[in-house]
Amino acid sequence: MFRFIVRRLLVTIPMVLVVLTLTWSLIRLAPGNFYSGERALPAGIERNIREKYGLDRPWYVQYGKMIGNTARGDFGTSLRYEGQTVNEILGRTIPVSAAIGIMAYALALVVGVTAGTIAAVRQNSRFDYGSMTFAMLGISMPNFVLGPLLVLLFSLTLYWFPPARWDGVPSRSMVLPVLTLSAIYMAYIARLARAGMLEVLRSDYIRTARAKGLDERHIVIRHAMRGGLLPVLSFSGPALAILVTGTVVVERIFALPGVGNYFINANLNRDEPLVLGIVAFISVVILCFNLLVDVAYGFIDPRVRY
Amino acid sequence: MKRLTLCVLGPALACLSGCAAPSTDSEFFGKVEPPEGQVLRYISGSEPSTLDPQVGTGQPEARIHMTLFEGLTEYHPKTTQPIPAIAERWDVNDDSSEFVFHLRSTARWSTGDPITAHDFVYSLRRGLDPALAAQNAYMAYYILHAQGYNEGGVFVRDSRTRAFVLQEDVSGDSELRLVLPGSEAAREKQIAEDPKLRAAVAGKELVPIRAEDIGVEALDDHTLRITLTQPAPFFVGMMAHHFFMAVPRAAIEKYGVRWTQPDHIITSGAFTLKEWRPYDRIVVARNPLYWDAAAVRLDEIRFYPLEDQTTMMNLYKAGAVDATYNHTVPASWLPIIKRMKDYMDAPEIAIEYYMFNTTKPPMNDKRVRKAFNMAVDKEALARFRVVAKPLTAFTPEGIFPGYPQPQGDPFNVARARELLAEAGFRDGSGQYDPGTFPARDVELLYNTSESNRQVAEFVQAQWKQNLGITVPLRNMEFRTFLVARANLEYKGVARAGWIGDYIDPYTFLDIFSTPTGNNGTGWWDPAYVRMLEQANRTLDPGQRYELLAKAEAYLLDVQPMLPLLTRSTDWMKKPYVKGMYPNPGTMHPWKFVYIEHDPAKWDSGMPDSRP
Repeated sequence: MFRFIVRRLLVTIPMVLVVLTLTWSLIRLAPGNFYSGERALPAGIERNIREKYGLDRPWYVQYGKMIGNTARGDFGTSLRYEGQTVNEILGRTIPVSAAIGIMAYALALVVGVTAGTIAAVRQNSRFDYGSMTFAMLGISMPNFVLGPLLVLLFSLTLYWFPPARWDGVPSRSMVLPVLTLSAIYMAYIARLARAGMLEVLRSDYIRTARAKGLDERHIVIRHAMRGGLLPVLSFSGPALAILVTGTVVVERIFALPGVGNYFINANLNRDEPLVLGIVAFISVVILCFNLLVDVAYGFIDPRVRY
Repeated sequence: MKRLTLCVLGPALACLSGCAAPSTDSEFFGKVEPPEGQVLRYISGSEPSTLDPQVGTGQPEARIHMTLFEGLTEYHPKTTQPIPAIAERWDVNDDSSEFVFHLRSTARWSTGDPITAHDFVYSLRRGLDPALAAQNAYMAYYILHAQGYNEGGVFVRDSRTRAFVLQEDVSGDSELRLVLPGSEAAREKQIAEDPKLRAAVAGKELVPIRAEDIGVEALDDHTLRITLTQPAPFFVGMMAHHFFMAVPRAAIEKYGVRWTQPDHIITSGAFTLKEWRPYDRIVVARNPLYWDAAAVRLDEIRFYPLEDQTTMMNLYKAGAVDATYNHTVPASWLPIIKRMKDYMDAPEIAIEYYMFNTTKPPMNDKRVRKAFNMAVDKEALARFRVVAKPLTAFTPEGIFPGYPQPQGDPFNVARARELLAEAGFRDGSGQYDPGTFPARDVELLYNTSESNRQVAEFVQAQWKQNLGITVPLRNMEFRTFLVARANLEYKGVARAGWIGDYIDPYTFLDIFSTPTGNNGTGWWDPAYVRMLEQANRTLDPGQRYELLAKAEAYLLDVQPMLPLLTRSTDWMKKPYVKGMYPNPGTMHPWKFVYIEHDPAKWDSGMPDSRP
């Protein structure tokens, strides 16, 4: 197990390097630059800017500097936000995105697994149809529709929660973003849990358990859920990684100072150091969460051995 | 099952659809409850790139700079014309090329130290320092040797006599010193191309231009003289721009780029920085040491950087903010909101137009350009856009009092078709024939955005309907688009917009005074440049405006562009926010703004913007 983890962590390094190189090249290939605007700059001012940020140096020098800085964990200073280092920006935005993301996922997990399991146990009941209809609705409704609908109902009609902006953890400003973000995951998890549980509940070892006279509650919670929720676990790695690294749409609708909001603007602004910093962060998080899921498999599924 | 779904979803949907129907009988949009005390909550647009007024470039930044820093002049809250600020008065010489500003002795930094003419000398030199690489440095290029210093240029001097070579020694009649590029390659190229220049500089030494050479000088602690390279009657108006504000030498030299952090910053304006949480809020508090502190009514302003229009409107409706910046109402909400009394709809110092690529056929023919212009019904376009006024001239209408604005060609389909026939697109009988027009050589290029697409489709339909020509549309990501447009890589027509820097028609007419840069059309005419220069040398403001109008008429006759719209301010403020006016630049000098708690004194509509 230990060797497996070390090996996987070592593979992460070249993968992040490839991702960074590709991102760096793509930013370079895109026309325009961070200082261009509707107003054309005189040539002299453009030259001053290029000198100030080292853009007048050959590409391999700039690439080498980028790799060297990344190796030291220093992504440099943002081109758009004067005097702010990428690490400062990440340090400020990751907690916001992570708080919203983790809470949304926890909510999705609790509600989704509960609903999915009950639906599987009581297959074809009213609860099954009802919860799966809601799940279908959750999957089909994009968060840019759900978010404004929740705002309309809870902020502009009932005045229960603020319609946008961030007041820290915990605060009422978290409620609507968490609900909006969790809906689709809740729905997916409910469907995955139901399908997984249905399959397991029909398997031989559950039949054996029933034959032995174990009570149904014990069978479902102790024996069936362990195998039945493996699809949910596989889904959790990438899903949680996406949630924690910021979701552009929800952060924009609710004006949250998270990674997603910065990421979209960094791209539009051609803010190279910030784009690279965020891409590196997202890559590492995705690779680590996938590793965590694989490790968790080893504990949950007796058929998996490392 | 069906019944169950209906039971659950029915009331929810009914409630939501009920909420979605805006109430049309209320006078104001959403809650009208003033915040406690004198606190203004303002949506300021995108997150500011910096709080350094000399480095920041956008309007969202500008509005925040205006709280923290002050210049020699500031904007009048109603007209955006310059009014005294740190300078209490100024003298101008005969040809508007030298300005002497008299600073008030009571002006102080937030530390209590006096703000002197030396601070302005430092600020201007810093703004022009090539190492700072300020994008707005070009605004100060009117100042003597400012451009040469900013571009790292050199003077040429006779090492024996110590006399500098003048421009008149090479060409023209200017008595200013000759400036050559600092880079050797560029300098050699320029010298090689001009035999007279080669002779003038042979055997002479090159002297780098220093900050001290710029035409800015402190005559004493409270008198500042600024010398320009050319007459510029609009120069005092520019002094309110944030690039020219006083910045604190002590903090900058101590903290470098981090001098704008709340712990380090020293301010010269009516407010100080209390809190800055990027992408969340910027809070400024009243500066008790400000020279006019007694006139400042607000205790605090909270700027909320936000970018999503719907989110802004939700916050405004819920009463969580008191006012928004310009262009914040989503187009689909306008039919309802335009009727509200808290909607601010006035002409803005901003235009939308299309450029013609005059270097390639068929748009290299003036008649074709004129025909394309005359085939667009701008009145209908303005009605369609809602937040705009029609524009036939090039300078925005209703902004410059006393300016005899010329009119461009009116909407006239018959004449447009005649012009195209005259340009050679006709059948055997001499009638206009759309089939002969090389439509494949023309396309309409715009940067990707919903509103740009709508305008492009409208104009496309007009050309199709009125001229029988289908011009294909092409959109590009903004920064990619800028490169294509600047390099004249577009076929026929490209979108453009312009926001004026100061309240003078010259800020628009100047676009076509250089062949490259913001011009983008490939058209450039020295005769037009001479007309502008003549106007700026004219002392009498009325006469100057007449000469500028003549230049504009000349420009409109050549038609290198197709004027479309003057934009509207398009923002909202609660009726209890007073001292904030729909002025042409949506620039609010914050010291005049306050919260009125007495409902009897609230605004019931747009406040009167007449000075």
